[in-house]
Amino acid sequence: MGLKIIKKILSGNQAISIGAYKGNARFASGYPGTPSSEILEHFKNYPNVIAQWAPNEKAGLEAALGASIAGVRSFATMKHVGLNVAADPLMTASYTGVNAGFVVVSADDPGMHSSQNEQDNRRYAKFAKVPLIEPSDPYEAMAFMQYAFVVSEKFDTPVILRSTTRISHSLGVVQFDPRTLDNEKELSLAKDFKKYVMIPANAIERHRVVIDRLAKLKEFSNQTPINKLEKGKTDFGIVTSSMAYNYVKELIPDANIFKVGFSYPMPGDKIREFAKDLNRVIVVEELEPFMEEELKIAGIEVEGKKYFPENGEFNLDIVEEGLKKAGVIRERATTVYFDGFELPKRPPALCPGCPHRPIFDILHSRKDVFITGDIGCYTLGCLPPLSAMHTTVCMGASISMGVGASKVQKEDKVVAIIGDSTFFHTGIQPLIDARINGANLTVIILDNRITAMTGGQPDPGSGFTLKGEEVNPIRIYELAKAIGIERVFEIDQYDYKATKELINREIDTDALSVIIPTRPCVLAPKRIKDRPLVVIPDKCVGCKRCLRIACPAIDFKNNKAIIDEFLCTGCEVCKNVCPVEGAIVHKEEK
Amino acid sequence: MNIVSVLFVGVGGDGIITASNIVAQACMLAGYDVKKSEIHGMSQRGGSVSASVRFGDKVYSPTDKLGSVKYMLATEKIEMLRWVRYLNRGSVVVVNDRIVPIIGQTIDEDRIDNMVEQVQTKTLVKRKFLVDSEKLGNPRLSNTIMLGVLSNFLEIDEKYFHDAIDLILPEKLRTINQSAFSYGKNLIYDNTSGE
Ligand SMILES: Cc1ncc(C[n+]2csc(CCOP(=O)(O)OP(=O)(O)O)c2C)c(N)n1
Repeated sequence: MGLKIIKKILSGNQAISIGAYKGNARFASGYPGTPSSEILEHFKNYPNVIAQWAPNEKAGLEAALGASIAGVRSFATMKHVGLNVAADPLMTASYTGVNAGFVVVSADDPGMHSSQNEQDNRRYAKFAKVPLIEPSDPYEAMAFMQYAFVVSEKFDTPVILRSTTRISHSLGVVQFDPRTLDNEKELSLAKDFKKYVMIPANAIERHRVVIDRLAKLKEFSNQTPINKLEKGKTDFGIVTSSMAYNYVKELIPDANIFKVGFSYPMPGDKIREFAKDLNRVIVVEELEPFMEEELKIAGIEVEGKKYFPENGEFNLDIVEEGLKKAGVIRERATTVYFDGFELPKRPPALCPGCPHRPIFDILHSRKDVFITGDIGCYTLGCLPPLSAMHTTVCMGASISMGVGASKVQKEDKVVAIIGDSTFFHTGIQPLIDARINGANLTVIILDNRITAMTGGQPDPGSGFTLKGEEVNPIRIYELAKAIGIERVFEIDQYDYKATKELINREIDTDALSVIIPTRPCVLAPKRIKDRPLVVIPDKCVGCKRCLRIACPAIDFKNNKAIIDEFLCTGCEVCKNVCPVEGAIVHKEEK
Repeated sequence: MNIVSVLFVGVGGDGIITASNIVAQACMLAGYDVKKSEIHGMSQRGGSVSASVRFGDKVYSPTDKLGSVKYMLATEKIEMLRWVRYLNRGSVVVVNDRIVPIIGQTIDEDRIDNMVEQVQTKTLVKRKFLVDSEKLGNPRLSNTIMLGVLSNFLEIDEKYFHDAIDLILPEKLRTINQSAFSYGKNLIYDNTSGE
């Protein structure tokens, strides 16, 4: 019987979702975050699977753990910083172990393409004493994801599958047969007091199990075929994993390479064997010296970070430079033929019509406020010319940092600004903090009813789910009221004047207040475009006030503002801030 | 066969992800190994964006090396200039003759054109593709026309591009993009490096 083979170009994230399905995973939960979001967006399309967005990563990981204990292979997805939020359940899920296979997918972001830090989550595997699997391209992303469920069940442990931006968002040719794998054994819901109830008496026992398990995993790491020697001709050897492997392969095709796919615990014995006949061994790994440290602890002589940076994303040029520094290649093959030009940077900006824009324009004109910000599209309000945000640390930190800042000083009024998805993620408890500890704070919850930043995923206020099913949304207004906050206001921020009055009034009132601007995102779930506006050149005085709202649709030429009618959505913020009556009008009125 | 790189550069929302997907698909259909890299997220909100397609017998890295990009498709002139360090004397560049404004900057287009002229590659096709696109009745066809131009230089049979367009684009956009591609393919250039 012929086997059907599918050959496709797939992204790493598509490949992970295929691997999960082939690995018989039937439940998945997660929280969006670049570069991980597309995994669940693909996975949801498979038949007979449950895929859902959780309000945050901790809830997502716990839901998947619950499904595993109930006998169904499951996984949770998140970006690297999401695992900080989910670290609490991860650390103890290591103790409980699993029933059906359970995988945590962490998508790291070396280079911070879309993140607030570039932490290396391989450290979590060691911290939680769980195995770590790292693919290096889409094909491996699929195969290793499937394999991760087998490892999870075989060793009764959560497994971390670590991707990076360059793996998740790179495409490659993948061939696979679409059959799915069966579970190791028939499973059903497990009620096992000693295993799943982590009171101290049980946890003390389980910690011993974890330590024994780690010893077995170490042995397994020396046997698994995903840790493999690629014999070459060089007198030196290279130990590498993940994306770095590709750069090494391309730069030194005939190198002796030890490719690590199962990177915690490290395959010490196998690498000791590999190193035996070589002059020297160099570890090439992105970000932290994780493998290097493990190998040194195992007493194997290796070099690594003395030649390569510990920060930033690798690429062919950086790896080539490091290999040259290490003396294993003589010359860099590169010639740069054209010098770079001095060019203006092109930072991202709020979209034309973005409902966040008027809020930042209003806040910009208050010089007596300290604005604690958060993470989302609205973080762009920190950039000039809007320049209306003084802190951004991690999701949910706006309100809680505002509590502290408003408690210890009275000179500046404090405004906390947060998006709806971020509010549901980790903003609710800080709002409770503000209410119960009596903070004098103006909280602005930008309710565009979508997780815009990461590509428009639904959140609990959207009214639909990952699978597109309608659901009764949670209203932030009612939530704030239920917490017992008296001053809660909804406002349509396209009504610029009324919004400005409300914000100013609440900043000047000594009380906790919550303002919820309610205009939806202009991009998702559907594109919104109204009649565009135009500038009447004769009336424009060239004052540039409209440029201060940082709208990509507005340009300035020959001392006059001009509006690109393709880009303009007709939101009227520019019209509202323009000091000349009738200089900006809707197109048809011209 | 050595690895061949096609680098796509532009501004978030410009459609370079789709354009690069078409090329990647065509390469695979032509029997090559192919890797592609693209960046999502924050940069899509109007920031600088890039995507690279690399094909050959066996491709490891999805991203390019300085001085090693043979083909570049730039949807805008400033972004083309931002990536010149990846080009070499033998490169072929197809650039849309336009500038996307940058918030808070006044851009001197003559200065930018002057810089573009300094980039002396084997072939540089600079043209107002938006005009061609509007001529075809839809302002969003520039990238596909540019792909048609580029296909004259790439060692990939034309039929694979047509197949790739059908595979990648939604049905209602196929016919018009097929004609846009052919239109670009039939634009003949004698312009070599603007000499
Ligand atoms: C712990 C964590 N998880 C996920 C992310 C990725 N992320 C950044 S902002 C954001 C949510 C943005 O949505 P919202 O607050 O509604 O603001 P919007 O972008 O819609 O303006 C997400 C998911 C992150 N930075 N940190």
